Amino acid sequence: MWASAPKTPSRRLYIFGALLFLWILAICFRLVRLQVVKYGDFVQRAQRQQNRTIPTEPRRGNIYDRDGYALAMSIDVDSVFAVPSEIHDQETTATLLGNVLGMDPRDIVARMQASRNFVYIKRKIDGETSNRVRQLNLRGIYFRKEPKRFYPKRELAAQVLGYVGMDDEGLGGLERQFDDDLRGIPGQELISIDARRKWFSRVERPPDPGQNLVLTIDQTIQYIAETELQKGMEDTKAIAGTVVVENPRTGEILALANRPTFNPNVFNNVPPESLKDRAVSDVYEPGSVFKIVTYSAAIDQHVVTPEDHIDCQHGSIDVFGMKIHDHESLGVVTIAEALAHSSDVAAIKVGMKLGDQRLYHYIHDYGFGQQTGIELPGETRGLAKPVSRWSKVSIGAISMGQEIGVTPLQTISLVSTIANDGVYTPPRIVAGELPPASKALPVVFHPAQQHRVVSTMTAAEMKKMLEGVVLFGTARRAILDGYTVAGKTGTAQKVDPATGVYSKTKYVASFIGFAPVNNPAITIAVILDSPIGLHQGGQVSAPVFKRIAMQVLEYMHVPRDLDVKSPQRQTLVASTKDSDLTDESPDHLGTPLQDDAAAASNAKATTTAAKPASSNEAAAATTAKISDTKPPASSGTEIAQVTALPPQPAPAGQSAPNGTVVLDVDSGVVVPSFLGKPLRSAVETAQQSGLEINAIGSGVARQQWPAPGSHLPSGQHITVRFTH
Amino acid sequence: MSRYVSFRDFDWVLLALILLICTLGVVEIYSATLSTKFAGAHLRQVYWILGGVTLMFIVSVLNYQALIERVPLMYLLSIASLLAVEVFGKKYLGARRWVQLGSFHFQPSEWVKLVLILAMAKYFADSKSECTAQDIVKAGALVGVPMLMVLVQPDLGTALTYLPIAIMGLFLGGMKAKHALIILAIGALLAPVAWHVLKPYQRDRLTSFIEPEADSQGHGYQVIQSLVAVGSGGIFGKGTAHGSQTQGQFLPVPHTDFIFAAFAEEHGFIGAMGLLLLYFIVLMRLIQNAQTAPDRAGAFVVMGVVAVLAFHLLVNVGMVVGLMPVTGIPLPLMSYGGSSVLFMFLALGIVMNIRMRRFVN
Repeated sequence: MWASAPKTPSRRLYIFGALLFLWILAICFRLVRLQVVKYGDFVQRAQRQQNRTIPTEPRRGNIYDRDGYALAMSIDVDSVFAVPSEIHDQETTATLLGNVLGMDPRDIVARMQASRNFVYIKRKIDGETSNRVRQLNLRGIYFRKEPKRFYPKRELAAQVLGYVGMDDEGLGGLERQFDDDLRGIPGQELISIDARRKWFSRVERPPDPGQNLVLTIDQTIQYIAETELQKGMEDTKAIAGTVVVENPRTGEILALANRPTFNPNVFNNVPPESLKDRAVSDVYEPGSVFKIVTYSAAIDQHVVTPEDHIDCQHGSIDVFGMKIHDHESLGVVTIAEALAHSSDVAAIKVGMKLGDQRLYHYIHDYGFGQQTGIELPGETRGLAKPVSRWSKVSIGAISMGQEIGVTPLQTISLVSTIANDGVYTPPRIVAGELPPASKALPVVFHPAQQHRVVSTMTAAEMKKMLEGVVLFGTARRAILDGYTVAGKTGTAQKVDPATGVYSKTKYVASFIGFAPVNNPAITIAVILDSPIGLHQGGQVSAPVFKRIAMQVLEYMHVPRDLDVKSPQRQTLVASTKDSDLTDESPDHLGTPLQDDAAAASNAKATTTAAKPASSNEAAAATTAKISDTKPPASSGTEIAQVTALPPQPAPAGQSAPNGTVVLDVDSGVVVPSFLGKPLRSAVETAQQSGLEINAIGSGVARQQWPAPGSHLPSGQHITVRFTH
Repeated sequence: MSRYVSFRDFDWVLLALILLICTLGVVEIYSATLSTKFAGAHLRQVYWILGGVTLMFIVSVLNYQALIERVPLMYLLSIASLLAVEVFGKKYLGARRWVQLGSFHFQPSEWVKLVLILAMAKYFADSKSECTAQDIVKAGALVGVPMLMVLVQPDLGTALTYLPIAIMGLFLGGMKAKHALIILAIGALLAPVAWHVLKPYQRDRLTSFIEPEADSQGHGYQVIQSLVAVGSGGIFGKGTAHGSQTQGQFLPVPHTDFIFAAFAEEHGFIGAMGLLLLYFIVLMRLIQNAQTAPDRAGAFVVMGVVAVLAFHLLVNVGMVVGLMPVTGIPLPLMSYGGSSVLFMFLALGIVMNIRMRRFVN
């Protein structure tokens, strides 16, 4: 019997049983610790694993023009995502999705294997694609709404607004400059899978929408500028161009147009040339426009007066061994006449009289060689070297606008300083920011720090002289109907980057002017790069100026300071010939002055023009009317009004035509979004936009064709599907 | 010697307990595989159990003493089958453990376990004298040879399950404390060598349980997931098919090696304690059967089964709660797997066999 064997195993069996018990006890303690004591920790851990927090994109702030029209807005579009753990056959799902979304199925499978509970397949797809994906009715494939940047006016002010990337990050223009403010703060959404592997989500923290931006831009003026610049480009075959419209009193940029341009809604494959905001980033030699600096400095320093006579030496001067030729062979003329005909010889002589130091002082005061501080990215300072780096001949070159690099914005500021009675006002394009949810808040624009450059007297003299440039000088094509106008042409030869010498065929033709002369409402700069054929600023840029100025002045209800179609001016315009408008350039063959007599007789026009202008002072003092009504066909939801301080001329009982300029970017109306609206509200919205609705179903609008933001001729039908 | 054997003496209580554990296992396998590609595994498990029970009844009517008489032959067959695995075995997941017989995969290392239990029983039943050093070396070699063969497959987990058979044999065979200390000392000296022999992934598995966070995405991942599943189960658990860690496939192999974690998540502390209690009762019942065994060999066989069962249980549960390294040892009676189920019921058949003959002699 085994029980009688030595060392009874019985006892050892009990020992074994006891050890077993101890071990099980140890496991029990461990279980207590895990499941009771640290239960909370583990539950949290489990939740962290099952849940996935995904950022929700905040709604990017809108960009409004000064009247509250949206220039950039965010619309809701679908993003497709997958909950991989709900998908049994990932390969088939990926193949089907790949076909519709135009993606590689292998790429989709790879995405789906990256997570168990949430993965984006494709973000921000258009409505049609979204519907096709919906029709596939795939298990584990869902949609969520994400805001997508949308520019309802397409190319309008494209370089100013800029564009955004896939995640709505600002990549250019104001979108980039104000990215931090516009962007908002992302929210968090919790995506969870329950034990049945069913997906559900919960908003952890809602996203904070970004600030809205209100610009000083007026979309109508911008539209006029864009259209006329485009026409000018087509007429002159220029390779690039810039138009800036500014309120000289406040520095508000009312329009800033560039060519070539792009549609910020589709910024792929846009050549960098089109993205460039030339008004702030282009540096060019200003040419004769810069003579305003020379002459105003000389008058301000009492070196010359406009009535002084100067010998233009029949268009030839020797500056420290360098021969300069005028295009016109002028004899002894007044300073005013010399400027009107843009004599280089006279400018050089005046500049030399002034001296290096004093000229540089004014160059600096007018803001050259410095950033204007406008709220646009990529602004350059230009090139204005200090006197210490000037050569002997520099004074001659700079006096007539060579050896110096300026931006279009700097030159318009120069002319605006004269228009603003000698006070320099930095140009600004952003009126202010609005909190996301605000409605109809007026934004008060505060001009930046101003400073006086020349005396009021000097500015007045310069205004007169610049009016002369238009009336009987190189810019007769800028003569306006019913308004006095002053300005200066410039035709600068481009420096060939390959050879470093002045090109004989490539010019930058510019005209910068303001109107009305005695109480300027607008300054406009028109700069065309390399026009083909006619290339003088007075020939190609002045007509563009004229067309823009006429429309903008009427739109702004600026009171006329001249009789409409005064016969005198008709004569003036009629007598204009291309040859009369030729501008200065050192090696240009001169053409003799032919109509001295006409010019002399027309000098009277200046004085007559000045009289009615003074009567407008009262009108100008009235504040700009703040409209509190929502503009029709507004594509924005919030309205902001920009009030300018100091005020600009307002209608105030004027008989000026009261017709509004209908903004018609794409010859049609912008389709509003009906999504989420009940039928009645949708019909009202449609009527406001001049569209009609084909309603399908009942309840709340869920789908619409065409998509919000597309352009349709008015009176067209929109199909809207309503569901409960 | 009247050979009267009756099913009246069959341990029905033990069978009921075993089948209760198996049922819990089947339900948990169902829950854990609900929405995975293994869905339906619980049905296959039921077939294995039914097959196992049948096998158990067949084995229980054979005379275990006759089986023990044939141990030398069975031992040789075991060695041969392990050799066959080396030669003809199918390589799966980097290890050669299975032989394909027709349409089904057979893992010889499981049934070798049973043969070793019988072999140890025969060795110590025959030696009437005190357990000498010679006995220890011989018994050690008896277990050591197949153990090394399994180790090279490589299947560390199964190889380790042979160890308790040897220990239990020596322990009950009357090994002196002096000898035990010497073996422990040699083992301690050889440990660094063994460590060196282990493959890096095996070493990582052995150490990662101590500090799982250090490699939470790698070797610590399974440990952490297991702890999270168990811990988040709390006192009452999340309910069958509602364990988020199990269902969300965060818990690795929830129907095999980590079935205890899945069970603890879905049934909580109370469920886990209840299950452990069931196992404890089963083990106690087996030990009781060992005490009432008709002879020394029978007692040794029953205790061998107890050793294997207890070892599996403690190492597996220890692994799940983070007290033991991850070794790939399944939870007997619950984990999904034919070989394991069949082994358990074969072993139980022999236990029943012994019990039914307790009054024979």
